[in-house]
Amino acid sequence: MSTEQRVSWSDSFSEAQTAIQTLSTIISSVPPHVSSSDSPALALLNDPELASQISNHLRQPDSGAGDNQLCRWLYDTFHTSKLDLQLVVLRFLPIVAGVYLSRIALRKPLAGFEAVLLAIYAHETASRDGKPITVNISDLSHPSVYHESRQPYRSTSTEPKQVVISPGLEPQGTIRSTKRARIIGVALELYHSKIVEMPAQSKLDFCEFCIVWAGQDGELYKDFPNDDKTEDDQKGKESEMKKEGRILLPWEILQPMLRILGHCLMGINKNKEKNKEVHEAACRACRSLYARAMHDINPKAILAVGSLLKLIKIQKASIDHTELPVTKVIHL
Amino acid sequence: MSGVVEREERQICANGGCVQTDAIEAKLNAGNIDDAESDLRQGLSLNSEEARALIGRLEYQRGNVEAALRVFEGIDIEAAIHHLQSISTTKKSHTHSESGPQQGANLVLEAIYLKTKTLQKLNRINDAAEECKKVLDAVEKIFPHGIPDAFVETKLQETISRAVELLPQLWVEAGSYEEAVSSYRRALLTQWNLDNDSCARIQNNFAVFLLYSGVQVGPPATSKQIEGTYAPKNNLEEAILLLMILMRKFSLGKAKWDPAVVEHLTFALSICSQTCVLANQLEEVIPGVIHRVDLWKMLALCCNGINQNKTALDLLKKALHKHEKPDDITSLLLAAGICSEDGFLAAQGIEYARRALDSCKNRNKHLKGVSLRVLGLCLGKQAIVSSSDYERSRLQSEALKSLEEAFELEPENSELVFELAIQYAMHRNLNNALRLSKQYIDVTGGSMLRGWRLLALILSAQQRFQEAEVVTDAALDETAKWDQGPLLRLKAKLRIAQSRHLDAIETYRHLLALIQAQKKSQTTHQIEEDRVNEYEVWQGLANLYSSLARWKDAEICLGKARESIECSSETLHTEGTIYQRRGEIDEALATYVNSLLVEANYVPSKISIGAIMSDRGLPMLPVARTMLSDALRLEPTNRMAWLHLGFVHKLDGRLSDAIDSFQAASMLEESDPIESFNSIL
Repeated sequence: MSTEQRVSWSDSFSEAQTAIQTLSTIISSVPPHVSSSDSPALALLNDPELASQISNHLRQPDSGAGDNQLCRWLYDTFHTSKLDLQLVVLRFLPIVAGVYLSRIALRKPLAGFEAVLLAIYAHETASRDGKPITVNISDLSHPSVYHESRQPYRSTSTEPKQVVISPGLEPQGTIRSTKRARIIGVALELYHSKIVEMPAQSKLDFCEFCIVWAGQDGELYKDFPNDDKTEDDQKGKESEMKKEGRILLPWEILQPMLRILGHCLMGINKNKEKNKEVHEAACRACRSLYARAMHDINPKAILAVGSLLKLIKIQKASIDHTELPVTKVIHL
Repeated sequence: MSGVVEREERQICANGGCVQTDAIEAKLNAGNIDDAESDLRQGLSLNSEEARALIGRLEYQRGNVEAALRVFEGIDIEAAIHHLQSISTTKKSHTHSESGPQQGANLVLEAIYLKTKTLQKLNRINDAAEECKKVLDAVEKIFPHGIPDAFVETKLQETISRAVELLPQLWVEAGSYEEAVSSYRRALLTQWNLDNDSCARIQNNFAVFLLYSGVQVGPPATSKQIEGTYAPKNNLEEAILLLMILMRKFSLGKAKWDPAVVEHLTFALSICSQTCVLANQLEEVIPGVIHRVDLWKMLALCCNGINQNKTALDLLKKALHKHEKPDDITSLLLAAGICSEDGFLAAQGIEYARRALDSCKNRNKHLKGVSLRVLGLCLGKQAIVSSSDYERSRLQSEALKSLEEAFELEPENSELVFELAIQYAMHRNLNNALRLSKQYIDVTGGSMLRGWRLLALILSAQQRFQEAEVVTDAALDETAKWDQGPLLRLKAKLRIAQSRHLDAIETYRHLLALIQAQKKSQTTHQIEEDRVNEYEVWQGLANLYSSLARWKDAEICLGKARESIECSSETLHTEGTIYQRRGEIDEALATYVNSLLVEANYVPSKISIGAIMSDRGLPMLPVARTMLSDALRLEPTNRMAWLHLGFVHKLDGRLSDAIDSFQAASMLEESDPIESFNSIL
């Protein structure tokens, strides 16, 4: 942990206390162990009881309005500019973005959610200085530390290719509908960059909304990529799943979504009970998104989600190479 | 295999002696660890440490993890390492041939390693990691000059390799990410004599960690940046580098093919939208490890991802060959989707879509709506290029029918709502088109520019220009400045339609300013696809000035347009209309003919020529008629063509034909959009 973070930690103590006090006027009861915690910001981030209360609140039918107290609280908490308190707000991003996007078509007042999302977007715009995020992709003609032989530079080799994975950002004062996807995409990018700090329940919330947004039943792809051999009447009957909340999934949202899902599948320690749940939920989300990618005939999504599904399968059958072979005769 | 045989074979061998495993196990089961130890020491001439290590291993193999741990904890590892260290440094010159120290080293290291594994199994991950680290530290102590080459194929090396592989995994599991990263790098950048396969596995594990853990890892510390070397700067770059190195190892046969690697790379490169790089990587894969049809399919997806649709389609044709996988729904849908974008491929697309429809069985039943949708799109595209009226209207109806069926199956699919709206609009079923285009804006929350444009165009087709302008203004409010181009162009045209010419000029000026600004900052805003080009604006302004009889202004604008595109049928046509309006008919005619030389099927020039010819009296009427019929073959809903054809019929004395033509013209006048509906597709 860097010193910078530690400084911010002690610094945020009083602000976190204030945040908890304000919160206690909004939700029915803040658990006592949170309000008396030595590290209040951490308690806000990780306490499951508190999280479920806040989540319930956010899911209420009128939750996103401009005068909503909880949205106001999230907005203010994010604006403390304390890293650990910003994490608390990000922890609820899946629900805020999820409920928000699913309600767009219903023409409900959503200014409260929008304020929170814009705050996150503005933060990210500032910290990136509006610049795009790029990645260099080498074609291996340049030797690197991982090359076996480090031959001298060949003048014929091409420069590494620079590709933009997240375009430049411009400040947005309001959420214009045509910029909505980008604003949420950027918020999700920030969420992804902090995902290590996010409690499992937040990831579960995210996976839940992936399925809602995809709006497709993915259970047909349970055996993917194996051929489907079951009888017609068992599978393929029109699914009865609710398709409310299905949204357009442009790449600017889908890309960070897939990166987050990749983490939930391959980047967590599955020995923990709660993480097993996350993994299962992410598998379901992937299957839904695969069905959706097929519906959209979206090549990049078919490739990316398809590879995740194949990896789930490979993972299940993987051998532990660090285990000693069991032999009948033990030789020294 | 029977249990008896198995039991008979189980024994422990060392130093030329053998001991029955069962006998030892019996003593262990009875709790007589000391007896078991002394049996081993006597039977195999071992020292106490070695015997204990063996007992630990036996317990570990039997799954008695806790018992194993107790045994391992009883071994004084520090002392053993110290002992080995002194042997290896004093007898350095002999060690190659002697098995003694090596065997001892192996037993001790294996014991620590097994202790690590037992701790891991008991879920004491941090302790396990500390223990595992001891193995590697011990190796460095015992062999300060590196592991002798003679050990490469021995059990000692196996233990070392396992420990090198396990340590970073343990740190990851323990949540100690910094240690994980440094132990991954220690594994990959230090000489451990790892064999290719275990090195490949570690590289893969590290790439997975970099790609998915979400932990921001600093770049590898290179002592000095050598010129020409590539140093990855962040997780994604490092992960992709490692995965590409692995792919290279596979194709050179240096490591065993691991199907996970190509999937991780597929994920990483798709996320970066670099499917072209992925395609190159896939092409290098050795034959046989990926089924050829799957490979073609993946390559097709890659090509489609970068809009190399022709190549994609060629690959899909191979994959869909009757001897390969002709029913593969992904390939069929992808092929049909590609064809639906190109009038010349639409006929093929219809075939693919029909085959897709036939393949919507079992798991793929949910793709019926998609299949119908692409079928509808292909039919619609085919209708546009079709040469006969009859064929066209048949195809259009079929297209509409397919899309309607698809819509019944997937009423929640907003893309479908949009495509159906367009299809209705082209069918001049404007009421349905209007309803659906509004619905599209609702379900997408107004997030799609094309939804707004469609609604405005439909309103313009209903001659509701003012409302169309209101919609355009609303859309402008919802659009960031950089993306406003197409909306401003539309707005200018709407103002012209309302004869508000000065307002239109104002809007064009606004649009020009935007284009200039975009030009200046081209570097940062390369992504917008829907950009209006400068040429279009000058061309539009030229038309506008020409209709206002401001010839000079019009000519200036045409000059500007020519700076972008030197020779275009559109510019020539506008020039022609200027001549015509000024009464310079011969010049006008010559210019119109020139414009047809640039683009033989340019409809406005055909109509203008037809109109001029019909004015020249009876002998020229057949020419006029040919020109106008030709124009109508290309654009059957062109109002002006019908109008002039009506004049020709009238002059020729075919009154009933004339009435039909005029009627068509007047009907179309009420349903003509301000820009073609095709322009949004």
